[in-house]
Amino acid sequence: MKDAIIDIVKREGQRPSEPFQADKLYASIYAACLSVRAHEGEARKIANTITELVTAWCNTKPEVTSGDLRRVAARHLTAYHPDAAYLYTQHKLIL
Amino acid sequence: MDIIDAFIIIGVAALIHASFQLGVSMLTLLGSHTIGKNRSHAKLLRLTGSYLLGAGVMTALLLSTTSLVLLAIFESQDIPLLAWAITCGLLMGLGVAMWAFYYRKEQGTTLWLPRSLATYLAQRTKATHLSGEAFGLGLTGVFAELLFIIGPLAISALVLIQLPAAWQLAGVGFYTLISLLSLLIVAGLIGSGHRISQIQKWRETNKRFLQFIGGGGLMILGLYVYVEKVITVLTEAGMQ
Repeated sequence: MKDAIIDIVKREGQRPSEPFQADKLYASIYAACLSVRAHEGEARKIANTITELVTAWCNTKPEVTSGDLRRVAARHLTAYHPDAAYLYTQHKLIL
Repeated sequence: MDIIDAFIIIGVAALIHASFQLGVSMLTLLGSHTIGKNRSHAKLLRLTGSYLLGAGVMTALLLSTTSLVLLAIFESQDIPLLAWAITCGLLMGLGVAMWAFYYRKEQGTTLWLPRSLATYLAQRTKATHLSGEAFGLGLTGVFAELLFIIGPLAISALVLIQLPAAWQLAGVGFYTLISLLSLLIVAGLIGSGHRISQIQKWRETNKRFLQFIGGGGLMILGLYVYVEKVITVLTEAGMQ
């Protein structure tokens, strides 16, 4: 998986920007899929697909925020696994 | 007050305690992270079990401590009307506060907690991978919600200290068990293979209902005890 060469603006600039890391996105999607009891193979496949789609989207943008990244990833994930997408968007809204 | 009446009040107070959602949120998050990291089912059960144990121990300790403090203040076991009135006022005030700001006006089930504390708890929950840590998390979860728990705890403690010693111990156990009901149900659902997303969806859909019955329960309990312990006594005293 190839990282897009782009900086991610974290929390609207309140935290220092960091380079886009496809592995980090992959791990979060993979964990969300496993959390809703998806099988490992299915989780890997979905995480790969979403990461590729988001990386391609990042390559078309001059600047991306972490919120944008999460929204785009969730939108794509909804098409593949709605339950995982729900948990992916909710995990910061549980507490 | 006879023992059955006392246990009904303790049971209702514990049910209201069980309707508070911080512990459930933390348990949901703990389950989600544990399953998401592909840990074994046995590990999941150990962590949720330790969390429940921690929550139970903290609840029992808080109730015992509150009872001990009240017993030290009211040595004669004859509780003044003012103490009942203050506790009922506390319950009703908490009921209004629960209706007003228990949940934030956002999506999801975000609670009234200061965001820094919520972030800290979420990070600790995410980092938990040992049973001891889960136990500590259970202790912390109950303590962090002390602002709301203090109402049901205080009224239960006032009722408890009027009972014979053996019944006091039973009362602490009874309160602890009932207050853990919501956590036991969620732990059971997670352990039996239900999806965390389904549990969270149910919680999100029904959050206003839970807020309503929690706040309403506090007010009704406060009103009931006020009538039973203050107005009735004053009326009887006026008749004599």
